[in-house]
Amino acid sequence: MAPEVDIRREMLNAARALGQAPSTATARMTSDLSIDEEFALHSIGWEPVELVCGVSLHSVPVGVWNWGQGEITPASAAYERSFAVATDRIHHECAGAGGHGVVGVHVEWAVRRHHIDVILVGTAVRPLGAGRVPPGSVFVSDLSGRDFTLLHAAGWAPLGLATGASFVYAPRRSMGAAMQQKSQNVELTNFTEAMYAAREAAMERMQRSALGMGGTGVVEVKVTEGPMEFAHHAVGFGAYGTVVRLVADTHRRLAPLMVLPLDDPVRSFDAASLRGK
Amino acid sequence: MVGTPVDLPEAAGRRFTDGAFTSALTVPDFAACLQMGLEPVGFVQGFCVMQWGWQGFAGPSTAGMGGMGYRSGPGDAGQGYSESWQCPHGFVSMEHRSWGQNFEQAWVEQAWATGFTAAYGRLIEEATALGAHGVIGLVDTSGPLGDLGVVEFRVQGTAVRVLDGPAPHEGRPWSTYLAGQRLAKLIEAGYAPVSIAAAAASVRVWASCVTGYLTEGTATAFAYQQVGAEIEQTAKAHMAVRRIARERVRAQLGGDSLHGASMTTSERELGEGDAELLCVLRGNRVRRFKAFDPMPAPRPTVRLL
Repeated sequence: MAPEVDIRREMLNAARALGQAPSTATARMTSDLSIDEEFALHSIGWEPVELVCGVSLHSVPVGVWNWGQGEITPASAAYERSFAVATDRIHHECAGAGGHGVVGVHVEWAVRRHHIDVILVGTAVRPLGAGRVPPGSVFVSDLSGRDFTLLHAAGWAPLGLATGASFVYAPRRSMGAAMQQKSQNVELTNFTEAMYAAREAAMERMQRSALGMGGTGVVEVKVTEGPMEFAHHAVGFGAYGTVVRLVADTHRRLAPLMVLPLDDPVRSFDAASLRGK
Repeated sequence: MVGTPVDLPEAAGRRFTDGAFTSALTVPDFAACLQMGLEPVGFVQGFCVMQWGWQGFAGPSTAGMGGMGYRSGPGDAGQGYSESWQCPHGFVSMEHRSWGQNFEQAWVEQAWATGFTAAYGRLIEEATALGAHGVIGLVDTSGPLGDLGVVEFRVQGTAVRVLDGPAPHEGRPWSTYLAGQRLAKLIEAGYAPVSIAAAAASVRVWASCVTGYLTEGTATAFAYQQVGAEIEQTAKAHMAVRRIARERVRAQLGGDSLHGASMTTSERELGEGDAELLCVLRGNRVRRFKAFDPMPAPRPTVRLL
C-alpha cells in the first residue's frame, strides 16, 4: 500500500521551492495530459515528453460532388492522403522530441467542398530514461493515458491509428417513384444502400490499415457518417481507431475490484459558467 | 510581461479589506484547499479591452508585383516566420497571383499578448493587495465585446494564502489553472505551481495561384498540380502557427515544465485560398520540487452504481 502523504507539508515544501531556481537535472516537458493520466503513465514506467502535432490538407476537385454514381473516389483518396501525411508529420515531431509514441491524440477531420483537412494533436511519451527511436517506430494513438495504462497492464500494445473513409453518391429515384413515395411511410432504399456501400468500403479500409501495421484488432473506433452539408445527395462514412496487438505471452486478466460508492454524485461546476457560457 | 499596472479600482481596495472572502471554488474544491493548508482570501479578476489596429502595412515586407525583395525561406533572423511561393506559370495576366507568402502577423500576436498580460497583471495586482500567496482555479476567456469591433480579455480566479507559508517569491503570487483535487495531485506528484503560461501565434496565408486553385478545387490546365494534391502552403501555415505558439510558451518556462496544456486554433478563410490562422496555447508552468516516487500499479475498479 502506498505511504500516506501529508499534503499540507507537501504544499509548504512546494511554496518554499518557488524561491529556488529550477533544477537542471530534470528534463523539461510540455504535456496536455491531466495529472491523473501522468500518474497512470508513471505507474507503468512511462513519462510525457512534448506536445506534438501533424496537419495536412488535400484538394478535392470542383464538380466531384455533383450527381453521379458509385464512390466519389477523389474525396476518398484526399481523406486517405491527408490522414497519412498528418500521421507522418506527427511521427517525425514525436521522434524529434525523443518520444516513443503519442497518446491522447485529438483527431479532427473536416470535409469541406474543395479540401479535406486532418489535424492531429497529442502528447509524445516514452519509457522513463529511454533513448530516441526512428520516426517509423513511433506509435500514434487516441487512447487516453488511463486507457494506455490499462492496455499495457493487460499485455497489449498500441501500434498506430487505423482509418478508413468512403464517400458515395445516393442514386436518384425516378420521378415516378419519388412522386409515389412522397406521402408514404417507406424506406428510401437509395440512401440506405448508399450508406451501406460507404460503410463497407470504409470499414474494409480501416481493417486493411490495421492488418498492414501488424495488429490483431482495433479499439475505441469512432464513426462519423451522414450526408455532406453542401451536397445532401452525397454521403460519407469515416472511421478511425487504435490498432492493438498482444505483446505479452498471454492476455493478463485485470480482475477489477467492485466498489459501491456511498456518496451522491457531485455536480461539477465550471467557473467559466459565471460568464454565462 | 509588461510592467504591473497600478490601476486597482478604489472600490476593489475597500472590498478587499472588508474581512469576508469571496471565491469561485466549488464546495469540494474549497474543502480540498483547506485540507492542503490553502486559505481562500478573495475572488480576483482582471479585464482588458483591446482594439486590433493596423500598425503600418501588415503584409509581407517589401513584396511587390514583380516579386522583388520579398523574403524566401523560413524567415529572416529576428523577423518571424515567413515562407514564399513563386508562380510556375510565367506571365498570365495582371490579375494572376504571381507569388504567395505565409508570414507571421506579429501585430496580432503583440495585441493579444498586451491584452492578456494586462488582464493577468491586474488579477495579480488584486491578489497582491489581498496579501495572497497564490491564485488557483484560473479561468481566462476572450471574445468580442458587443459589436464594437474590440476584444475583451477576462481572467479570474481565487486568491489563496498558504498557512504558515513563506511570502511570495519577489512579491509576486504564483498562479495555476488547477484547483482542489487536481492541484492536490499535482503537489503530490512533486510539482509546484509557478504561474500560468499562455501565448498566441498568428499566421497569414497570402495564397499563391496554385494554392488558390487547389483550395477552390479548380482543375485547370494552369494548375500544374496533380488532381487531389496537398495544399502545401496552407498545411505549412497550420504547422507553423502551432510550432510558433509552442516556442513562445517554451520561452516563458525558464527551466520549468508545462502541464495540462490546451491548444486551440481558429481559421478564418478569406477567399481564394487566403486565410488567417490564430493558435492560442495555455497551460500551467510547474517546477519539480521533489523526485517522483515510483507509483504502484493502480487497481482497476468497477462502480456498481
